[in-house]
Amino acid sequence: MNPPVLSIRNLSVSNRRTKQPSAVVQQISFNLNPGEVLAVVGESGCGKTKTAEAIMGLLPRDGWSVQADAIELDGSDLAKLPESGLRRVRGRKISMIFQEPLTALDPVFTAGNQLASIFRRHRGKTRSEAYQCSMEMLSKVGFADTRNVLKSYPHQLSGGMRQRVMIAMAMACRPRVLIADEPTTALDVTTQAQVLDQLTRLGQEYGTSILLITHDPGVVAQYCDRALVMLEGRIVEDANVRDLFARPQHDYTRRLLASVAGVGSG
Amino acid sequence: MRYALSKLAHGLFLVLGVTLISFILMVWFGPDQTYTLIGKNANPQQIAEVRHELGYDQPFARRYVDYVAQLFTLNLGASNSSGEPVSRILKRTVPITLALMLPGFILGNLLGIALGLTAAQHRGRWTDHLINGFSVTGMSLSFLVIIILLQVLLSTPYGLNLFPVRGWQVDDPGSYLKYVTVPTLSLILVTLGYNTRFYRAVFVDESGKDHIRTARACGASTATILWKHVLKNSLVPVLTRIMFSIPLIVISGSLLLESYFGIPGIGKATFDAITSGDQPVLKAVVGLTAVAFVLIQILTDLLYRLVDPRIS
Repeated sequence: MNPPVLSIRNLSVSNRRTKQPSAVVQQISFNLNPGEVLAVVGESGCGKTKTAEAIMGLLPRDGWSVQADAIELDGSDLAKLPESGLRRVRGRKISMIFQEPLTALDPVFTAGNQLASIFRRHRGKTRSEAYQCSMEMLSKVGFADTRNVLKSYPHQLSGGMRQRVMIAMAMACRPRVLIADEPTTALDVTTQAQVLDQLTRLGQEYGTSILLITHDPGVVAQYCDRALVMLEGRIVEDANVRDLFARPQHDYTRRLLASVAGVGSG
Repeated sequence: MRYALSKLAHGLFLVLGVTLISFILMVWFGPDQTYTLIGKNANPQQIAEVRHELGYDQPFARRYVDYVAQLFTLNLGASNSSGEPVSRILKRTVPITLALMLPGFILGNLLGIALGLTAAQHRGRWTDHLINGFSVTGMSLSFLVIIILLQVLLSTPYGLNLFPVRGWQVDDPGSYLKYVTVPTLSLILVTLGYNTRFYRAVFVDESGKDHIRTARACGASTATILWKHVLKNSLVPVLTRIMFSIPLIVISGSLLLESYFGIPGIGKATFDAITSGDQPVLKAVVGLTAVAFVLIQILTDLLYRLVDPRIS
């Protein structure tokens, strides 16, 4: 079997601001395999988002302390990289999509500006080349009227369109790993399916492994190969999706699955 | 363009409002100047004549319309104390005040923005604490101390003795620099603490936004994040502060500097008018300041649309 694309060893995250340093993520380890869609499920506040931000190195250093034996992406350890090194990896080899597409895009720059800046930064494109690439990328995520979308400001786009622009930005450099942090929670149900279809299809095409953070067991069943169940900062179960639904091992997993009607019984 | 026109129409009502208030306070209930002009031993006929000349026998509405007409045609009568037409006083003093205040105002804000950005970038670290410390010190020092200290250090034999202590004999760039330097430094030092604290707060607030996290997740450098994303998103509060401090800086700020450095600008003229009860000058300054505020507000609204696409 191929070595994992992303390998996390003993990752802990704690908040420095509280009186007694409280760990929101405690000593978790897991692997993300090539081409895999790995779900991270768990209730709000169980440390899913903090895990993702810690992997990306996005947690502000004055507020959070991140410790890990290794955060290995394609064999290089992100935990040992300085900020400047991380910057070259972010958006190029590993990228992230956020939960709230309205606030995740910069309101005072056009979608085209924000998308093109990634091609210019990571792929050394000129301004016009970058706009050309941006148009192609937008049609990849299912936009027909790409020229207009490029000229639009985020507030002029719908929630689903914004999230697809985010996907275009995250996938622009064909990253090895994409972390999607509840990418559809803020969208309505029909748009959810479209966005997730787009995301997983593009992931397959580009050979990008996806870490999909969600609290929806339905999404796990439909889109993911394997799932991690998190509870209070720990991984309590790591199983194939088929096994997870058929034979949940942990009591919490059973309750989580039972909370969605009809899923646990199959 | 249509937006500009509608703003202008809206502004017209504001102008009518502010001029009405300043008219009621400064003119209608203002001091009666009859006896100042003709002395104590006047006969009733002379009194009536002067009152007629001053327009005191006219009804309220008529006098208000005259006042507004005076403001807009800048035909404001003559100063009581010197007899010089008010419009000429304005023409003489306003350029001096602008030349005096502009360098310090611009530099003070630019420095405040630069320091605020630096502090926000290094939030919680020693650079931030250092800048904060200096800002609080600057805010706590009285402007008196700052001005006198600078005068002693730069303009007297006790210090470097490089610049004149007071006065304004400007006829070429060299002499302008000579007279403007110390007041400019004073203005920067007096305002810098407040500016820095304000801008830092704006930038820190903006740095915590979700889209900044997105930019970082896409590999943007600290410089790109600060100068592109944080700065452009902060322009609305920054513009508001700069634009609305213009009228204040011109009147009250220059009052301070001009009296300490003996510079014959509009602040000094206003101060003299207040102390001598020179009504024509006062009502011109008050009325024009109100009008300037309204114009600046309209201009600010138009600028908002340039910097933030969401405002329409």
